[in-house]
Amino acid sequence: MPPTTLLLASGGGHEVGLSITLVFTAVLLGLIACLALEEKIHAKKSIIAGVFAIVALMMGIVFHVLPGTAEVHVFAETLTIPIYIPAIDWGVIAIILGSSIFVDVTSKSGLFTWIAIKLTKASGGDPVRLLWFYGLMTVVFSAVLNNVTAMIIVGSLTGVSLRKLGRESQLLGFLLVEGLLTNIGGLLTLISSVPNIIVGTAAGISFVEFFVAAAPYVVVGTVVTIFMGARLFGIVKLGSDEERAEAAALVSGFDENDGIESRGFFVFGAVMLVAFILVIATTSVLPFVSELGMGYVALTFAVIMLARFKSSVDTFYRALDWDLLGFFAALFIVINVMEHAQVLTLIGHGLEFIIDLGDTLGTGLILIAAAAFSSVTDNIPLAAMLAKILGALGKPSDSALWWSVVFGANLGGNLTPIGSASTLVAVTIMHKQGLRISFAGFVVKALPYALVQIALATLYVLLVLA
Amino acid sequence: MTNVDQFESVFRSADKPVFQPADVELATVLVVSDLAPEAAERFTGAVRRFLHGLDDPAITWETLDGGRFASQGELLEQVERIAPQLVCSYRNLHSDGWRWPHSLGEYLDVLTQVGPSPVLVCPHPEEMEPDTFADFGTDRVMAVTDHLAGDDRLVNWAVKIAEDDGHLLLTHIEDQRDYERMIDVISKIPALDTDAARRTIMPQLLKEPRDYIRSCREQLERAGARVVVEEVVTMGHRLGDYERLVKEHRVDVLVLNTRDDDQLAMHGHAYPLVVELRALPMLLL
Repeated sequence: MPPTTLLLASGGGHEVGLSITLVFTAVLLGLIACLALEEKIHAKKSIIAGVFAIVALMMGIVFHVLPGTAEVHVFAETLTIPIYIPAIDWGVIAIILGSSIFVDVTSKSGLFTWIAIKLTKASGGDPVRLLWFYGLMTVVFSAVLNNVTAMIIVGSLTGVSLRKLGRESQLLGFLLVEGLLTNIGGLLTLISSVPNIIVGTAAGISFVEFFVAAAPYVVVGTVVTIFMGARLFGIVKLGSDEERAEAAALVSGFDENDGIESRGFFVFGAVMLVAFILVIATTSVLPFVSELGMGYVALTFAVIMLARFKSSVDTFYRALDWDLLGFFAALFIVINVMEHAQVLTLIGHGLEFIIDLGDTLGTGLILIAAAAFSSVTDNIPLAAMLAKILGALGKPSDSALWWSVVFGANLGGNLTPIGSASTLVAVTIMHKQGLRISFAGFVVKALPYALVQIALATLYVLLVLA
Repeated sequence: MTNVDQFESVFRSADKPVFQPADVELATVLVVSDLAPEAAERFTGAVRRFLHGLDDPAITWETLDGGRFASQGELLEQVERIAPQLVCSYRNLHSDGWRWPHSLGEYLDVLTQVGPSPVLVCPHPEEMEPDTFADFGTDRVMAVTDHLAGDDRLVNWAVKIAEDDGHLLLTHIEDQRDYERMIDVISKIPALDTDAARRTIMPQLLKEPRDYIRSCREQLERAGARVVVEEVVTMGHRLGDYERLVKEHRVDVLVLNTRDDDQLAMHGHAYPLVVELRALPMLLL
């Protein structure tokens, strides 16, 4: 068997036998299978990925596919560090860590609940207006914050407000549409979802470039999804003046100022949120800041917000999703080992076969395959793996293939309840509200939306972005 | 705030009952006593003076003297026939039980729990001359409850009987013993943070009635009601604190709910007040 050529981010290489590569491929497949069966094996992602990272590292040393240490050169100084340290993309971890803390602390200002309640009152309690307002809010919150937080905020408000309006029968429709829209909103900016961060960073796409390319699709996808939701779930406008007056009186009982403990902090939170978006959007062109990257920006804003709670920051540290962060770190290690073991090269050859089918068929198939894969397992390993492979194949940042991965990885999450963290949150809220929906039940209800969204995305990537 | 429950709590807290002012329809008032016809009419006159805040010549005042009923069934038949929107009476009808202040008497028990109308309980004529309580007027009306938020009917009745430019005291006393018991239980559950519970539960318990009272004040102003709304929201021991508040605020009449959907007897929190505060007129809903 001729050895395959190793792909390394640094451009260096060494030879690995195919049999060894196949052994590591089996490990990768094992990880993907375990992540897909996460609910069945009752284990958190971080533990699953952590176990595979430890096994993969040890195998890497035993089979001599990677060294135990790496050298980092900082000016004249050379640091020797364990190989698993540079294996982790600390830039991505910093963005997720910083933005999570920033969003969490900012939510304490009452800003997001204020916006949510204002919109509820503006709807006058009319179900159709409420669906549009909540839908748009979900998209914007998913884009600006992250899709899990967006689903938590809008989903919890939906439960409270629809019960108040006596419209519990429409809860399923609202929550499903919102869950599906989180992944549409998650396409809007470079920091809206983890696959965006991973792929965008690997491709070298700036925040503004990402936004300009994704925004038209997000607008169309949002409108189509809400329109379909209203039609398929029979959500109609209130018929009489009495109904409208009654609904308006009910929603008028919401007090948007109730969650605001300090008016000063509320204003500060709003200002900081706008500043955060502006700085993140312009990071690539800001002097000095561009050298430190978006992770630095996210952490800086997190620290500024934490200063408001300087004596009780541990509350926010405890609230962090350590499972997610641990999962990312372990996943990056596994991917790095797979990279050294030539597994990514092997998959890259398969990918090249699809890409070589042509700009149209190849790009479209990548998007559909990415969506299908993301629907049954986590879209983050997929995004991380494909980003590495496309980078190694030398695809330029304006290649439509990057967008195929972005759109496929995000929208695939709408096919099943386990396809993305936010749809999982949507299902959790459904169960919390007493709505019994099975895995298959979710798929049946979500499938029409997901197919339309993926079809629209394929057309958009091929006709506009290619 | 990273989980669904935390955000749901925020939204539930923001969802406040809004007071809806509504006119209380009052076409007929029935005054029931165990007095002879002439004395019964005088008693009715005293009740009318006391309730001069109603100030509506269209109201029909009916008097039921002691000779027109000799049993609870007969009284209920008369009440059903006259169909008043308000019944006015006093404790221990056709009985000398007023000498032993430990009950309402069987007639009032039935009127308050079976009759469809609210009952204004006046001091017994043997304990206080009717002209005396008639002079109280209804300048200071106190609506009392252990669950004020959302009780529009209670507030609307209190507004109805209050004199123009009178004071409406909306009162909510959260039971200190119940609260301490709850904290004590929480302190024995490792999964619950006792300090956080102590820090957050009491303010939330008091916040809800305060929010509602604010809504009452705003809505009554908007509706042009001529009452001054005052807020009394506190922790305490209900009976003792109400007695104190009645004295402190020189209250003329109490308005309170007495019916409990879960039981035939009077609401457990109302009963001791109705039995013990005998010198104070009370409107029982």
